[in-house]
Amino acid sequence: MNKNRTVQLIKNKDGYGITFNAMASPCEVIIQSMDKPLVTQLADLITNEVWRIEDKYSRYNKLSVCSAINNNAGRSVSIDQETYLLLNFAEQCYQLSDGLFDISSGVLRKVWSFKGDKNETDNFPTVKKINAMLCRVGWRKIHFDQTQIILAKGMEIDFGGIGKEYAVDRAIQVAKQLTQSPVLVNLGGDLAVTSCRLNNEPWQVAIEHPDSNSDSYDNTSTDMIVSLKTGALATSGDARRYLIKDGKRYSHILNAKTGWPINDAPRSITVVAPQCIQAGILATLGLLQGNHAEEFLTEQEIQYWARR
Amino acid sequence: MKNKLEKINVKAVLTIATAALLSTSNPVLANSTKVDTDSSNVSEEGSWDFDSAFLFYSEVDRVSAGEVIINAQKTFANDEILNLKLTVDALTGASANGAVAQPNVQTFTRPSGNGQYTIEAGETPLDDTFHDTRVQLNGQWTQPIAPNYTASGGVHLSKEYDYLSLGINGNIAFDFDRKNSTFSAGFSYFQDTFTPEGGIPNAFSSMLIGDSSSASWDDNFSQTRIDADDTKTTTDILLGFTQVINRRMITQFNYSYSTVDGYLNDPFKVISVVNSETGLTQDNIYESRPDSRVKQSVYAQSLYHFDSSVLDVSYRYMWDDWEITSHTIDSRFRIPLGDSFGKESYLQPHFRFYQQSAAEFYQPFLIDGSALPNYASADYRIGEMTAFTVGLKYGLLVDNGHELSFRLEYYHQAPEDAGFDTPGELKDIELYPTIDAIIAQVTYSF
Repeated sequence: MNKNRTVQLIKNKDGYGITFNAMASPCEVIIQSMDKPLVTQLADLITNEVWRIEDKYSRYNKLSVCSAINNNAGRSVSIDQETYLLLNFAEQCYQLSDGLFDISSGVLRKVWSFKGDKNETDNFPTVKKINAMLCRVGWRKIHFDQTQIILAKGMEIDFGGIGKEYAVDRAIQVAKQLTQSPVLVNLGGDLAVTSCRLNNEPWQVAIEHPDSNSDSYDNTSTDMIVSLKTGALATSGDARRYLIKDGKRYSHILNAKTGWPINDAPRSITVVAPQCIQAGILATLGLLQGNHAEEFLTEQEIQYWARR
Repeated sequence: MKNKLEKINVKAVLTIATAALLSTSNPVLANSTKVDTDSSNVSEEGSWDFDSAFLFYSEVDRVSAGEVIINAQKTFANDEILNLKLTVDALTGASANGAVAQPNVQTFTRPSGNGQYTIEAGETPLDDTFHDTRVQLNGQWTQPIAPNYTASGGVHLSKEYDYLSLGINGNIAFDFDRKNSTFSAGFSYFQDTFTPEGGIPNAFSSMLIGDSSSASWDDNFSQTRIDADDTKTTTDILLGFTQVINRRMITQFNYSYSTVDGYLNDPFKVISVVNSETGLTQDNIYESRPDSRVKQSVYAQSLYHFDSSVLDVSYRYMWDDWEITSHTIDSRFRIPLGDSFGKESYLQPHFRFYQQSAAEFYQPFLIDGSALPNYASADYRIGEMTAFTVGLKYGLLVDNGHELSFRLEYYHQAPEDAGFDTPGELKDIELYPTIDAIIAQVTYSF
């Protein structure tokens, strides 16, 4: 699991950039300070925190708390305060979305395979398979309290929908407590800042267009530049993960209640909110509204960009 | 489903859920000595920021002052800012009483009327009874009132043993051109009450000299007094314009109009009446100034960011209807030292130049037998003078990113010879003594 855990420091004109890999994404921390010992300490604290969260909640890590819970479905697994709070947060998201957002829906990936192939898939799941797998999904079948969690047999949970954004927020807390210098934390496109840049200048953040790394669809794809003075920004959706059957494009956003992809969901949604995890959930909840995504986001009176 | 979502304020619920998730301490943080485990930064309200400063000011052979400043500022959720400032200063030492030096010992009565003091031959007369403690409170509230409009209002209270100052102020600022330009307009109003011990002296009455323990002293002294207290009011109007020139440069222009009405004398100052032949003092009479003053000034400031250092230069031109004009040039240059001499340390040289012309009624002394003018004051502070300050500030970040700074400055003030004919003995007397002072300050932000 500790493959490729290196940190690079790059000196910029008015500060340092810290780059590393975590959660299968390129990560970057920018600090507007020339104080190298401070930067080194910040790099140390933030990477430790992000990797700690990755190790603790990644379903790919066999030693993670997540794996321990999943491998012991049907039995009680004791949990700590942090895990309890994350589960509590997931519960709130489940209720807010009326069951559309469910961290136990990851097992549906076993029947759905989104490769982003432009050709017709020959691997489209059958209704029977989907319904069989749907029996293993359902937040209501999970019981937890402050000290323990019990999953029904065959179930799995996955913190993938909130873990990265949570790590951004924790990293921002670490940075704020260490320094007053402006800091931006970017974990694979989900990012937050501690404050505006020096002289009250905003951070200029480029949001990658969903198609920027693929040659499909339109040719007008450009990165979008967003000015950010405070708070966080998160993007949900991945244009490279879809499949095509009978000419219809199925997004990888799955309805946890039906087991089927959400129809007419935007390809990606970017949201600005005070905290990254909040931005991430709002973007995801937006996607889950399908063709009502923009309507839903507008009602929330938040700043967002939906790309279709 | 959609209907149900509409009924819930998703954003509000998520804000609460996020606060619950992020407001706990973390094992990694708890183990770090650098970090405060009581992490409460989920709240949108900022915590209080404090600045504290201790300042020491000492003029050679004259006044010394110690000052403590505590400044507290808090920013609320909607960018409202509350600023509270407490200043306490203590002043001790001697101040020129306005009389000229003489070739013989001189005796003066203290402003209170209780006792007298003597000044050696050739020495500038200084009243050494100055000791006062001043407590000053300022409160300021600033908030956005509409897009691009910011309003601010404040109150001021300052109390000394014999002085009370109350003030209010208001300001409105308007941003335009994508916040590259700001126009502001403000006013302030102060009412000051002076209750000097011994009362307010009658202008141009003679300072009573004699046996202060005699039975008739108190009656005779009160003859020189007109009242127990007096007041003055000050109204200021300030117009400002700030312009961002480019990423590196910002400029500011201000115009201010200030009118002061009421008691503008210094009740502690006298002016010597000397013999036109010998130059010897015949009498010391209390000074007299007009009861109004209109001051105007224009001010320009420019801040320039070089790659790492910052240059701050300002110029002020002031003129008033007492015919005082002044020029002030103030410049600071901030040089970051990196981390070689303390974390994020910097040096900041400071240079200030000040030149002032005299008030029309300024006179170092009066000639006995000449017609008394309407107004006269020998207060060196309204005479012609040149002054400069050179200083150096050193700052660094200490634990938890708090800033600590030290400032040391030297101030030199040189009055100009006002060009009056100096009769007799006054030719050999220093009428325009210079003042040298040292200013030391320690500031800590937390």
